[in-house]
Amino acid sequence: MMLRVNNIVKQYATHLALDDVSLEIEQGKIFGLLGPNGAGKTSLIRIITQITAPDSGEVLFNGKRLNSDHIAQIGYLPEERGLYKKMEIGEQVLYLARLKGLSTAEATKRIKYWFEKLEMGSWWNKKVEDLSKGMQQKVQFVTTVLHNPELIILDEPFSGFDPVNAEIIKDEILELNKQGSTFIFSTHRMESVEELCDNIALIHKSKKILDGSVDDIKDHYRNNTYWVEYHGIHELPHFTPEYAILETAVTKGNTRIKVQLRPDQTANQLLAALLPYVSLSRLDEVIPTMNDIFIDKVKQVN
Amino acid sequence: MNKILLIIQREYLSRVKKKSFIVMTLLTPVLIAAFYGMMFYFSMEGIKGTQNKIAVISENTALTEKLPSTNKRTYEYVGKSLNEMKGALENSTYDYILYLPQFELDNPKGIQLLGKKQAGLVLGGNIADDIEALISVQKLKASGISQTDLDKLKTSVSIDTKKINDTGEEEDSSAGASTIIAYVSGILMFMFIMLYGVQVMRGVIEEKTSRIIEVMISSVKPFQLMMGKIIGIALVGLTQFILWIVLTASISTLVMSVFLDKEDLKQATMSTSAQIPGSSTMQGSPAAAIATSSDSEILSIQKSLANLELTKIIIVFLFFFIGGYLFYSSLYAAIGSAVDNETETQQFMFPVMMPLLLGYVLSLSVVTNDPYGTMAFWLSIIPFTSPIAMMVRMPYGVPDWQLALSMALLVLGFMGTVWMASRIYRVGILMYGKKASFKEMIKWFTYKN
Repeated sequence: MMLRVNNIVKQYATHLALDDVSLEIEQGKIFGLLGPNGAGKTSLIRIITQITAPDSGEVLFNGKRLNSDHIAQIGYLPEERGLYKKMEIGEQVLYLARLKGLSTAEATKRIKYWFEKLEMGSWWNKKVEDLSKGMQQKVQFVTTVLHNPELIILDEPFSGFDPVNAEIIKDEILELNKQGSTFIFSTHRMESVEELCDNIALIHKSKKILDGSVDDIKDHYRNNTYWVEYHGIHELPHFTPEYAILETAVTKGNTRIKVQLRPDQTANQLLAALLPYVSLSRLDEVIPTMNDIFIDKVKQVN
Repeated sequence: MNKILLIIQREYLSRVKKKSFIVMTLLTPVLIAAFYGMMFYFSMEGIKGTQNKIAVISENTALTEKLPSTNKRTYEYVGKSLNEMKGALENSTYDYILYLPQFELDNPKGIQLLGKKQAGLVLGGNIADDIEALISVQKLKASGISQTDLDKLKTSVSIDTKKINDTGEEEDSSAGASTIIAYVSGILMFMFIMLYGVQVMRGVIEEKTSRIIEVMISSVKPFQLMMGKIIGIALVGLTQFILWIVLTASISTLVMSVFLDKEDLKQATMSTSAQIPGSSTMQGSPAAAIATSSDSEILSIQKSLANLELTKIIIVFLFFFIGGYLFYSSLYAAIGSAVDNETETQQFMFPVMMPLLLGYVLSLSVVTNDPYGTMAFWLSIIPFTSPIAMMVRMPYGVPDWQLALSMALLVLGFMGTVWMASRIYRVGILMYGKKASFKEMIKWFTYKN
């Protein structure tokens, strides 16, 4: 386990930000940290980045209690991010890299590599105030990964990016991940969670209410429900030993129904039951999206 | 430690490289030099330009003595009548005609000053003084006092203020020199703390509003960031002041050597200082006497300046300079961390500035008047006011134990404010959109890490 968060409690003056939260993040995985606004995600990230300390509980980084040596092994792109407006880009990235412990020569080499890679080669002497927001985001991404951290924490990394640049950054994340970097990825955009994350944890009202691998969770939330489409308008019996129809919709001479199988029934048995009556055009399993699960879980707790 | 150095370096270089810094640093000494240049120029003009040549027509038989010329007014007795002179004035070298008609010495009436142009108030007054002096000399003579006795009456007095030091020796000191040093160092201290303390606050606010702060403190501790900023800006301030002093001194010397030759300079200093202590030009008082007395005054100021242990003053100045700055700038850093933009700083600025302002005002009034009094003592011991008050007291001499106590308290004081500020700072920099209040800040202060 690369990062182990054990029973973290963090109390601010009037509210409890984190209530006994535990997590495990595996080496080389992309971990999604999800939750509604104000759930406590940022508080947890700030504890992992050692910006604040927990009231109780501990964080283990590669088995060792988190200490200041780990700062250089973590790259953090906060949601509220910015740069020194009056400073030149190259100088600024160099400064931030040196604060992470890189030597000037090494940092310069790596900055050149990244600037080249992300087509930022001509930006070195530009001032931040002369760059667009998307360009600034690119600079911030570079500063986050420049020191080759083992653990990269990205808080809403795609906000402010146009689709083209978002794609570029996504590719970079996947490539870094392939090279062995572990990611913690905090976002509200569930489609990018499904696309990128191996594991997730859902935090709501200071508590962890769900965690596990994306595949397991989705599997768990399958409930034997299928979309079925057939030609013509034909009223099927609503309740049979094989299935129950939950919804029916008719469009342009086609009928679409949502059916739930009885326990122990399979899709094959459903097909066998339907075939005598209608001519089928489509059959899909209803797989819950992370979005559905998210909303469902959060509502349950409320 | 290495990280603090990096932060100091950035804070320093990013400010020193700014155009506004370079312009201010270069322009201020030029302005100061220009100001002094103008002062000298005008005092020179004052000497040359107001030299008035006055034709005196005396019909007064009672006045046997004559008006003596001074360096500003040349009196020449002419034998012509008033009407003759009036006609001839236009083509003569005289500026004015002074008409002294026949009058009783007790009741001088009908004296006229006629000129190509209307005589100024000052000139009129000076001539009236000259005539009054003349009349009194005349009267004294009438009562039988001889010229030699009269000359003996005129004595120019200057007091040597000396202080007896701990070992019972006399030290040359001059209230003038002490006051000058006290004022200059008090003002410098106040300016430095104000200007650069506010810069620290701005720097913190800038990091907050540009949202770089969270990136920064994931790499360095808030304390390192705060101290790096404070020290970096202190170095900017020191650089600026040293450059100002060096540049001002060299430009001033240059300007003076170009515009004024030595003789003029001497004359200028003479006349400016001669004007200061109630110098109503006594009749017959030789200009040389004034010159020597004011010359010796300047000399004595210079002598006592040398006696003030300048090295000690400079070292102490630097100490309080840095100590006072650290004391206040950490408070400014705490304020900066608590707000989202500069307009919100007002309510916090006032309580921080109050003691500084109070120290400044009291130091330049109470302390300079009574540098050994109780008030002066306490002001120079309490860290809130000691940087200014102690510097104002220094030139008058401060017992070593008081100096040591004040320094120790200032060190404790700034360690206290830095500690306090860093506790508020570490919470404040991560707070957005929360209207900070003193209550809120106290709450932050008590947060666990």
